[in-house]
Amino acid sequence: MKLRRNTVRGAYALTVFTPIVPGHEDALRAYIEELPMGADSPLARLRGLHLSRIQIFDELVDQGHGHRVDTLRFRQLLFTSTFDGELDAYLDDICALLGAEADGWWGHCVGYPGTADRDAFKAYIRAHQVDTNLFSSAFPQATVAEMLEGLALREQLAAFAADAQGLDAATLQSRFLARFGGVR
Amino acid sequence: MTALTLFTPVRRRYVWFLEIGFFCARHLPLIQKHILQFNFIKFVRWTVVQLPGEKLNYRYMLFESNFDGPWQHYIDAFAYVIPRDIRTTWGRGIGFPGPPPSEPLKAWIAHNSMEGGTYYCAHPEASTRMIKSALVVRERIAPLVRAAPQMQPAEFAAAYRRFLTDVQAHV
Repeated sequence: MKLRRNTVRGAYALTVFTPIVPGHEDALRAYIEELPMGADSPLARLRGLHLSRIQIFDELVDQGHGHRVDTLRFRQLLFTSTFDGELDAYLDDICALLGAEADGWWGHCVGYPGTADRDAFKAYIRAHQVDTNLFSSAFPQATVAEMLEGLALREQLAAFAADAQGLDAATLQSRFLARFGGVR
Repeated sequence: MTALTLFTPVRRRYVWFLEIGFFCARHLPLIQKHILQFNFIKFVRWTVVQLPGEKLNYRYMLFESNFDGPWQHYIDAFAYVIPRDIRTTWGRGIGFPGPPPSEPLKAWIAHNSMEGGTYYCAHPEASTRMIKSALVVRERIAPLVRAAPQMQPAEFAAAYRRFLTDVQAHV
């Protein structure tokens, strides 16, 4: 049972550290770094996903000042996501929409069962999840869909306001409804 | 949009201090507001990590944030506006250069920043301020859209002008 501290209103912060199978580091790095970015990223298939980062954690940094630098037994894969909704649904979406790619990166990690066995996959991710101590969002009540809709509306409204200058009232009303009538 | 990930050691004897501090911050709205006072941060998280299967001298703090542009642009704001908060949060580690000034802090961040990997953002071109404005526009246009079909044209034109005045700072 993970704590509510991973959430703020409707947003969830997932942090997962998984140990990499020794000798697989370079193949994993190459796989991650060759993933398409932006709208072509496989992560774009996850509709409620705000942000995600996948990184390899090679070593712990020497801070100087007499720091006894720790050495990792296993290099780690760090997967973080900020998404709308609950973890269980998000993991279902990963299995359904991102299975091949998720297997592509976590498949280099110790004990990973694959997304084909959904229950085992979820158990694996939950077992390697680290609870967030503090999570803050600038938009705690807004979903990805609401943000994207708002951004599109904002642009449309700016364009409409410029085009609509000087229109008579009846034309203004009909054009406004034609443009924005679908907004709910 | 850029992401910043830091993973820095925390002396074990201070872990309780951080955990209590984060607990309080989580439950006090004023502190939440304080954290998000900078309108270039979308999301931010702190996680005190004990890696399973690893025997380490220290616990580690994972910090992940996202900025509208390169993080270097904002460190001056952190160093001079909230130096005490930064020293309280990261000063439990080793070799942390308590700000101000900001240059040693920038060097420390660059030294501890985790690079590489892949990054995805659903709204990469939109700044935090743009998204906040967009949400205001979305919220305020809906009542006008609902009411518009029942209005007379002159009544609608007046309502439209009031709406534009209301949201002009957000468009």
